[in-house]
Amino acid sequence: MAPPPLARVELDYSGGERLTMNMGPQHPSAHGVFRAILTLEGETVVGVDAVIGYLHRCHEKLAETLTYAQYPSIASKTDYVAAMTSEFAYVLAAEEIGKIEVPRRAQYLRVLTAELQRVASHLLWLGTWCMDMGGALGGGATIFLYCIRERELILDLFESLVGARLLYGFYQVGGVRYDIPSGWADSCRTTIDLIDQRIGEYEGLLEQNPFFLARAQGVGVISRALAEDVGIAGPLLRGSGVNFDLRRAAAYSSYQDFQFTVPTEIAGDCFARYRVRMAEFRESIRIVRQVLDGLPEGPISSRPGLKSVAQIRIPKGEAYARVEGPRGEVGCYLIADGSAKPYRMKWRGASFSNLAVLPHIIPGHKVADVVAIMGSVDPVFGEVDR
Amino acid sequence: MAAPEARSNGTEVGAIVKAVLTAMRVTFLNLFRKPVTVHYPDVERKYPDRYRGLLALVYEKDTGEEACIGCRLCEFVCPPAVIKVEMLKSEKRNYAKTFTLELYACEFCELCVQVCPTDAIVMTRSFDMPTTDRREMLLDKDRLHALGLQHQPSWATGNLLRDMQGPPKLARAEAHAKKEEAPKPGGAA
Amino acid sequence: MPAWIIPVIAPFIVLNVVVGLVTYVTLLERKFAARMQSRIGPYRVGPHGLLQPIADALKLMMKEDVVPTAADRGVFNLAPIVFLIPCMLIFATIPFAPGLGVADLNIGILFFMAVSSMEIVGLFMAGWGSNNKYALLSAMRAVNQIIAYDLPFIFSALVPVMLAGSLKMSDIAAAQSGLWFVFYPVIGQLAFIAFVISTLAAENRVPFDILEAESELVAGFRVEYSGMKFALIQLGEYAHVIGTSFLGALLFLGAWSGPGPEWMGPIWFLLKAMLLFLLVTWVRWSFVRIRVDQILALSWKLLLPSTLALLVATAIVVVWRYGGGA
Repeated sequence: MAPPPLARVELDYSGGERLTMNMGPQHPSAHGVFRAILTLEGETVVGVDAVIGYLHRCHEKLAETLTYAQYPSIASKTDYVAAMTSEFAYVLAAEEIGKIEVPRRAQYLRVLTAELQRVASHLLWLGTWCMDMGGALGGGATIFLYCIRERELILDLFESLVGARLLYGFYQVGGVRYDIPSGWADSCRTTIDLIDQRIGEYEGLLEQNPFFLARAQGVGVISRALAEDVGIAGPLLRGSGVNFDLRRAAAYSSYQDFQFTVPTEIAGDCFARYRVRMAEFRESIRIVRQVLDGLPEGPISSRPGLKSVAQIRIPKGEAYARVEGPRGEVGCYLIADGSAKPYRMKWRGASFSNLAVLPHIIPGHKVADVVAIMGSVDPVFGEVDR
Repeated sequence: MAAPEARSNGTEVGAIVKAVLTAMRVTFLNLFRKPVTVHYPDVERKYPDRYRGLLALVYEKDTGEEACIGCRLCEFVCPPAVIKVEMLKSEKRNYAKTFTLELYACEFCELCVQVCPTDAIVMTRSFDMPTTDRREMLLDKDRLHALGLQHQPSWATGNLLRDMQGPPKLARAEAHAKKEEAPKPGGAA
Repeated sequence: MPAWIIPVIAPFIVLNVVVGLVTYVTLLERKFAARMQSRIGPYRVGPHGLLQPIADALKLMMKEDVVPTAADRGVFNLAPIVFLIPCMLIFATIPFAPGLGVADLNIGILFFMAVSSMEIVGLFMAGWGSNNKYALLSAMRAVNQIIAYDLPFIFSALVPVMLAGSLKMSDIAAAQSGLWFVFYPVIGQLAFIAFVISTLAAENRVPFDILEAESELVAGFRVEYSGMKFALIQLGEYAHVIGTSFLGALLFLGAWSGPGPEWMGPIWFLLKAMLLFLLVTWVRWSFVRIRVDQILALSWKLLLPSTLALLVATAIVVVWRYGGGA
């Protein structure tokens, strides 16, 4: 068979010509493996076709073969940037079906790590977003390295708590697996004070910067109606004026004990989402300080230490537990059948639902805005493809 | 939906200049801060006590015998199922006849350490096992014992981890004290 | 010595020095940028990374030369050369000391401007010949941007020309023996700032590097090049940056004037050019980039009218102060 004729790029530039361009799965700013088939007219995007599935690893089927004791460390691997969030949703679901009580100290420790995880995840978001907009060999990389430097401090905290830096296995049905070692609380306080101060520096660096404002303001506007309609959650929703945060609306794991505000902006553009996340930094640091001040004594698990793999059996039932992750609502729907393994487990990936908004907001923008919008949506493809 | 274009009235220019100088000042100041680079491998950073490094089998401290009794709990709890153990029955105690651990598939989740009743399997404070052949990472019992002698074990052993979650007697005593008449909570306690 | 020796030897020496300078300037940029980012740049190859550029050059020489099947071979292969030649040619007119230069033309500045604008041809050839939509998009943006910024570049460079009264580079350098043009009240500083901004854009440096936009267009017009051709394009880019740094040092910072004996002149010139280069690098590593329509708006709506006004103001100053001569 003769080879197909060589494709030459034909560009009859009469103005109405459309170009189909692949922002392929291998791309420096695709935030993972994501394929966006863009239809361009000149520099303006007129259509977006999102193709996902490059990172599918069959988490949901895998959960049916692993017991409740084994799965939490695998759950980390869905949202690998904020690994504790997924574990949290899973154990909450299991505890809800089994009506298992979690001791207060464990609840506080869960809040502590969840908020630290949120700070670490937002640091990565800020770094990668600025890098996308500024170039890997340019000013963006500078902010990226600063943010990574700060994130390393939080990962060091996690390392002294759990032993691992990125994927933990910290949560367990009935509580948590590790308690804080001595001296950890002090180093935690020092770290978050430092990060609080550095965030102020980055805000100063970025917010008055006309280049940054020109790239972020007015770009990727999600109207409030669209936000409520399409099913997004997290900073995307709060950046469009909808004051909805699961930590307030459906408080879990003693979040009701803490004082914090839920930052909301009404503009709905990338800059609004940026402001929401920057404010969330501060709120998370507030919560961490309150937890450290009020950490009660007591056991860290209502189930004594794991002695056998089939130890945790959840009776028949089903539950949907949801957590406010850094990207939105992470939900775990669990159907238990009385044995040590669930019958069915389904993840509601926050990024998966957030990606649905892309075909609505990208058309009309230039190619350069696509990366800015993708960055402000902040997808993690482990969550999308599971 | 397009972003506002760069304006050219006087005040705007002033703001631009101020912002530009602020940004440049931050990077300039950072020029004089100490770099955060650690000169690995000449210098290693300090690993914490609970570091989850390579896995190893240890000997009992008092008798010097192998601590592993071949109970296979670690094999059952491992999520990616990388451990394979065969038990060897003996008069006083059992041993592990063979113990293979596929380190290339290991998740380093520390669940095997947590279940071990005799603190036989531990994680060490080193991750250093570079190799060009994956088959070298299929650790058998001898290599696991050698690793245990070679590297410093981390703080976490099975009994320590289980005790950290509240010793069972204490939890059960508290539960009984609080809920004398109430029915037992769902699931095994 | 036969009369034809000097015109043959001098360019040879200058070219070699320039190529050597360019390779080590990449190391300077990497270390400088690294320090601004709390890290160390190249460190292992040679003491403190001093052999890194040599290692990079060797690596690029040994790489496989890939030509896409459907690419326009002639255009694709010629493009790096057409890009490189003007970038090297600009060094011909720069005098490194009074009397020490390849060709100190009477119309030195004009030659510099004209030739440095020619690199756009090579750039577009590279984008076109690659048969790649990304490259094509980037090449079209490049044409837009460089055309837009060449005019402010020329106008801001004309301010020292008018103040010195001559297009000859050594005359301009000599005219600064009393006061460097950058210290000239108001118009000197404004012209310097406009010059720096225009060179950033004309050389496709961040924040105006929408052309390359690593995170969007993955190296833009260079995306299909590998090995020695890529090296030639890199060489040309950095040579252009260094060339305009030298030009800026000559026009605004007094070229070779500085304390010390006569023979220190070229060294001062080099230091000033490197200072300008570091300024450009500092800006590069501090900002995010702006979009192409914003870049063009900045040029046509802000920079061009301002530099035009500046030029008129300089003309008035010159006539008023020097009575209309020269």
